[in-house]
Amino acid sequence: MRQPGAEVFDLGYQRYTGPREGRNRARWALFWNGVRTLLGIGRGGKSKILPVLLFISAITPAVVFVVILAFIGDLAAAVEEGSFVPGPADYYGVVALVLILFGAIMAPELLGPDRRDNVLPLYLVRPLTTLDYLVVRLLAFAVIALALVYSGQAVLFAGQAFTSDEPLQYLRDNWADIPRILLVGVVIALFISVATLAVSAYVVRRAVAAAVIIGAYIVMGGVVDGLTFAENCTNFEANFGESPWLEEQECDYLIGDFAPYVGLLQPAGVTDNINALVFDLDPQSPGSLAVSELPDLTPVAAYLVWVLVPAAALWNRYRRIRL
Amino acid sequence: MPPLLEARSLTKHYGRTVALDGVSFEVGEGVTGLLGPNGAGKSTAMKLFLGLIQPTAGAALILGEAPYDSPEGRNRIGYMPENDCLPRDMTATEFLMLMAQLSGLPPSQARTRAADTLRHVGLDEERYRPMHEYSTGMKQRVKLAQAIVHDPVLVLLDEPTAGLDPDGRQEMLRLIDRTARNFGISVMLSTHLMGDVERIADSVIVLESGVLAQEGAVASLTQETETLIIEVAEGVDAFAAILAERGVEANSDGNLLVIEHAKEEDYDTVRDAAVDAGARLRRLAPARRTLTDIFRGGPA
Repeated sequence: MRQPGAEVFDLGYQRYTGPREGRNRARWALFWNGVRTLLGIGRGGKSKILPVLLFISAITPAVVFVVILAFIGDLAAAVEEGSFVPGPADYYGVVALVLILFGAIMAPELLGPDRRDNVLPLYLVRPLTTLDYLVVRLLAFAVIALALVYSGQAVLFAGQAFTSDEPLQYLRDNWADIPRILLVGVVIALFISVATLAVSAYVVRRAVAAAVIIGAYIVMGGVVDGLTFAENCTNFEANFGESPWLEEQECDYLIGDFAPYVGLLQPAGVTDNINALVFDLDPQSPGSLAVSELPDLTPVAAYLVWVLVPAAALWNRYRRIRL
Repeated sequence: MPPLLEARSLTKHYGRTVALDGVSFEVGEGVTGLLGPNGAGKSTAMKLFLGLIQPTAGAALILGEAPYDSPEGRNRIGYMPENDCLPRDMTATEFLMLMAQLSGLPPSQARTRAADTLRHVGLDEERYRPMHEYSTGMKQRVKLAQAIVHDPVLVLLDEPTAGLDPDGRQEMLRLIDRTARNFGISVMLSTHLMGDVERIADSVIVLESGVLAQEGAVASLTQETETLIIEVAEGVDAFAAILAERGVEANSDGNLLVIEHAKEEDYDTVRDAAVDAGARLRRLAPARRTLTDIFRGGPA
């Protein structure tokens, strides 16, 4: 209801006399802008479809694992029998593929429009440097990637606890998995973030960038698996039961002694090898099997190279952009 | 207090190309036009003042600080680029809120400033529409709005009327004039359109081939000349003949008579001759130099 005597005055332009919070406010604002972009918040309905589908894809394997666990019943007996009992490490093996899809689709969406629409100079005339921009964009991407992997792991862990006979006892017996889950999650999210953002920095068109990322993942993975396939390996037949990390290998590879090093070039293996190392598991692919012949810390060194080289490429691309 | 902008022997090389060669000038409050033909070094100067690129030698200072080395100082300047720079899928409100926060404003103040600024540039109704639906004129207004949303002391505008139709250009010039006069935000306007500068600028800096060609107040550069312009409605020939009889040489051009090197007493002669010839005077005024004349080395 109209208030008697109420009037609207146009006070004209008012100078701003409030607080100015400097660079950290700028970084924080850009971070949230990145998160909103990735999740489609503040955009049309179409922009939300992909993030929702990706979250469903990340959680689905965890739900399937929980259903399997529910059917297994006595987990301890199943482990003793050597049956497949899905755990957090297995989940990371599956979800890495979902994360690659996430990176392939969403990384070009995060960096591409800023360059395509020429928004970058507007950011960089504010109190932000090129390094600020890249680090903040990377963090926004990594946080969503982490949310993806952790959401599935949370479902799986809760499912494991509640499908066991004694949930509290399960938590007491398996608490050590939590730091492992957190650590490998960071390892996977950081690698996917840096690698896919680096590709997106060089390819503006989203479809092309996505094709390059998925293509490189599949083709390099296939080529490395082919080259490192062992024709004769004492442990090969039993490598999924035994632990080739601990036992001496006697393998004849198609490319001889180079095989373990070629195995380090497999994108999927980068995180698989760390996952196997942290959870003390057997390698899951011929490439990873070959890598297992190298000293334990080699996959860690390879991981650092796989993260630092794309990071350098990303920085190099933006350092040279003519604004 | 340091000047808003200061170029000290400012030099920028791109490989062997010299974009700016030891240029020095200062910019104070009000509207300053940065004039020059394409390739004169205007955009390079702008980018140096914005901290987007580093000088090869010399210094580009904003409020006494080098923006390339001290990003914090950049929160008191605004920038409107010449080309398209708006994210297609964002609304004007969301974009302005982001730009305000990037200049250090907290979210609640950024929201208020975004709404106020869009209202001041005449985009109140359309602020929640994605910007790819905007016309060229509306996009120019958003570009200006994002440059002033954080209430800078100085805003740098790169060819702000480029691509606008005559009405849109007039509207944008009015808006820039309001920004300086009513909002109290000083403006540096880079353009190759001298009419824009003559219309709204207080002072002008002219660059040519990377060096400083002219600088000063627009009023003094476009001062009155010794050429007298007379416009009559009719009887121009009789008028010119009487003037010639009385020793004043006038060149006719349609209804115009132009007297070069007019002296003080010539004004009385013109007045009397107009009465005697029965010529109806429409205009009698000394000619002013235009910035075009200055560029072309025209009459002083």
